[in-house]
Amino acid sequence: MTDTSDDIPGIGQYDDFHTIDWQRDIARDRMRHRYIVKKRQDSFWDLLKGAHDAWSGWVCVLLVGLFTGCVAGVIDIGASWMTDLKFGICPQAFWLNREQCCWSSNETSFDSGNCSQWYAWSEIFTSSREGFGAYVISYFFYIMWAMLFALLAASLVRMFAPYACGSGIPEIKTILSGFIIRSYLGKWTLIIKSVGIMLSVSAGLSLGKEGPMVHIASCIGNILSYLFPKYGRNEAKKREILSAAAAAGVSVAFGAPIGGVLFSLEEVSYYFPLKTLWRSFFCALIAAFILRSINPFGNEHSVLFYVEYNKPWIFFELVPFIGLGIIGVSGTGLFRGKGLLNKCVYFHPQGFIATFFIKANLWWCRFRKYSKLGQYPVTEVLIVTFITAVIAYPNPYTRMNTSELIYLLFSQCGISNQDPLCDYNRNFTDVNSAIEIAAAGPGVHKAVWLLILALAMKLVMTIFTFGMKVPCGLFIPSLALGAITGRVVGIGMEQLAYNYPKIWIFSGECSTGDDCITPGLYAMVGAAAVLGGVTRMTVSLVVIMFELTGGVRYIVPLMAAAMASKWVGDALGRQGIYDAHIALNGYPFLDSKDEFQHTTLAADVMQPKRNETLAVITQDSMTVDDIETLLKETEHNGYPVVVSKENQYLVGFVLRRDLNLALANARRIIDGITGQSLVIFTSAQPVQNLGPSPLKLKKILDMAPITVTDQTPMETVVDMFRKLGLRQTLVTHNGRLLGVITKKDVLRHVKQMDNEDPNTVLFN
Amino acid sequence: MYRKLLYSISLLIIFHIASTQSQSYEDKRCKCICPSFKTVDNTTQEGTDRMLIIDNVPPNKCNCDGVILPRIAGKIKGKGQEICPRCDCKYENRNTTIIKVVVIIVIWIISLLVIYMLFLMCLDPLLNKRVKANYQEHTNEDVIIASDSISSKHATTSINGPSRHFRDSYRNKFSGSFDDTAVTVSNGQDMHVRENNVLNRVGHQQDKWKRQVREQRRNIYDRHTMLN
Repeated sequence: MTDTSDDIPGIGQYDDFHTIDWQRDIARDRMRHRYIVKKRQDSFWDLLKGAHDAWSGWVCVLLVGLFTGCVAGVIDIGASWMTDLKFGICPQAFWLNREQCCWSSNETSFDSGNCSQWYAWSEIFTSSREGFGAYVISYFFYIMWAMLFALLAASLVRMFAPYACGSGIPEIKTILSGFIIRSYLGKWTLIIKSVGIMLSVSAGLSLGKEGPMVHIASCIGNILSYLFPKYGRNEAKKREILSAAAAAGVSVAFGAPIGGVLFSLEEVSYYFPLKTLWRSFFCALIAAFILRSINPFGNEHSVLFYVEYNKPWIFFELVPFIGLGIIGVSGTGLFRGKGLLNKCVYFHPQGFIATFFIKANLWWCRFRKYSKLGQYPVTEVLIVTFITAVIAYPNPYTRMNTSELIYLLFSQCGISNQDPLCDYNRNFTDVNSAIEIAAAGPGVHKAVWLLILALAMKLVMTIFTFGMKVPCGLFIPSLALGAITGRVVGIGMEQLAYNYPKIWIFSGECSTGDDCITPGLYAMVGAAAVLGGVTRMTVSLVVIMFELTGGVRYIVPLMAAAMASKWVGDALGRQGIYDAHIALNGYPFLDSKDEFQHTTLAADVMQPKRNETLAVITQDSMTVDDIETLLKETEHNGYPVVVSKENQYLVGFVLRRDLNLALANARRIIDGITGQSLVIFTSAQPVQNLGPSPLKLKKILDMAPITVTDQTPMETVVDMFRKLGLRQTLVTHNGRLLGVITKKDVLRHVKQMDNEDPNTVLFN
Repeated sequence: MYRKLLYSISLLIIFHIASTQSQSYEDKRCKCICPSFKTVDNTTQEGTDRMLIIDNVPPNKCNCDGVILPRIAGKIKGKGQEICPRCDCKYENRNTTIIKVVVIIVIWIISLLVIYMLFLMCLDPLLNKRVKANYQEHTNEDVIIASDSISSKHATTSINGPSRHFRDSYRNKFSGSFDDTAVTVSNGQDMHVRENNVLNRVGHQQDKWKRQVREQRRNIYDRHTMLN
């Protein structure tokens, strides 16, 4: 028993844009493992090799976590520095952003983050910070820096790694389900995506860096897996490392290791056995630990939105929380015309957020794909950045970094919060006593209007931004949209409680004058609802949210909003945004969540159709020329091998790529092979010895292909494709070969049954 | 280009700074926030802004007595114990060396990438035009080849050794197999001269990479088959 058949180079690898054969790769890995275990007793060196094989998975995942943590730290520091470069510079230490520059200055004024060590651009050129001239200069520099960053990002992506654009999660989902996209997880994509996401975020565009972090982590996982041949040469095993890497990506993006593991389980991975669960947990843990020790934000938390309050919520508040959950996802009735729900939702001014966002974004992406706009990607990026910068600067809530905005909305109004949003008529007496409920001052009203404007602007800009040819993500914009909605609703509830403390819903907790409604909590729930509505995450969303905020007390409201969002979404049957993008791009992704409910049979789906013949190879009666002609005339990816053309009993299945490589290799290396040599797929010696010597290709034949009969219902066949990760299956009738069903046929059939266009399934 | 801008701006800044105050960039601080004095003493002349006091003290002294009272001793006139409960003190830590190293690395990487990009856009075509004129037989990878018969003829003229190339079989649809091995085929004599050159190998790798990027660009920007 030897290791994988390496005498023909290239056998066992896959072509670009092809589906892998899970069964074959898992079988190869088992064979390799058995070989190593058998040889363990031979010598000390072999014992060491056996131990190395056993722990190589853990070592690989450890390295992936280390590098992911480091890269995430670099991206965080770089992005926060470049973001503040739009506003000014710290002359003595130009590497510090505004907050860090003013960190240890011992002035006693409280001027919203500015200090004498930090020079705004207007201060450099006009020596003043206030006034109309200063405003114009600041505006100009803001736009100029934003355009510069966006131009750099778009041109670097176009020049070096076009695969680095977009979010990456739809493609990674497809890759993890068994598709090959070469260079998508390569080193150039890694470098350009890291640099590009720093530049895109700093340009002030309405996007986040969480989706790209998953892509970056997967690139690191892919590159490091090549250090360990157990994973590098086996595509099925490599996907275990990639699942763990995706968990690490979310873990460092949010500072949420457990949420990262659940995200990898729920959203990204296709197969997730227990072994992968342990590995992902370990990887996410290491990555979070490394990021925390780099300490990019100077406050010992790798979390941006750490909220420290622990105020209780009252039972009645579950109603607005569930309402926020429904707002987060509703709006589909309008587009699907489902009667009464249609009318209710239409008049609801906020019933548009998540599903509206998905539909609008898909419409715009489709428009971009098919129209002339798609031919000017760099120009498009520049125009969108210009418009975003021009609209964002005047409104202080859009001018600030989106993460800072979310932090502001999540936090409670206390003594250290000087934003107009917290302009209540309060007397601060003791920092340790409870904050009393108070009437909203004029600052709050102005802030609410500005926030609503910010909501509209962010919604519109994100629709046009997501899908551009720069690295972009959409977790942070969705969280921001939800947080704004939630905070506005929360302030409304709070004022309701202040003005009418005696009504029955507030009785008890609110009548003592203490603050019982926390608008920050509403912001959290709103953010979770919109993110859940957009991406259709459930458990991972709740865990990420409570790890993000540290508010363990708020798990129940978050769960209520997430469940409401999920139920309403499922009832209306819409896809999340990542599945919608997979469908838009035509990736061959067989969704394991949908159920196949039609009653068709295997005979209805198989190739060849009625008027075609099945292209087969016989086991010992075809010559090299015959096979080459067959390869040239047909386009199939594989051919069944039968006993003879008269009785088509199945022998096995052989792939086109393997045939090409084996024939090319034979012609080059083995003497005496001509076009007339017979090709033998059996191990029996052929009788005649006249003519050229035969070519034995039994090694490349798969002698155990999965077969079904023609009367097998398609439900079972689809289930087999999902559970076993098949690439094709052979259809037999009364023991004889009848046809082939490939994954592409299954995908087309599913689309046809759902009354969608089957020709949108591209690739193999 | 990027660095020149940075240098010119820093020159401007230096001219504007008349006197350098003692700038502080320590790594530890104690941050205390207090409401204004009006909350304890209605007669004071201070404004109604909140106070922010930052000082560099060890963590056990990061409280009202250690930080706030020494700072405002003159103005408080005996009401120190009243303002203390309204103040909020926190001890924080950071590492500026890591920030400095990371930012400088990021600037370096971006500058290198920009320089390489400018080189590829402007100088590389000029260099390649002169080199390509020496080839007598020259294949253009952008031409889409319909059949394999031409390719098999050309493949036999390639040379053994480290610079052996295989013809890649382009097809106009995705159902074909895409071999992303290199392609350049040229006349025998010129190849012998450059054959064992390390630069030749680097150039070969660079050509292969450029071809891959071109194919990616075609998929994404022109045909819009992916990443929409």
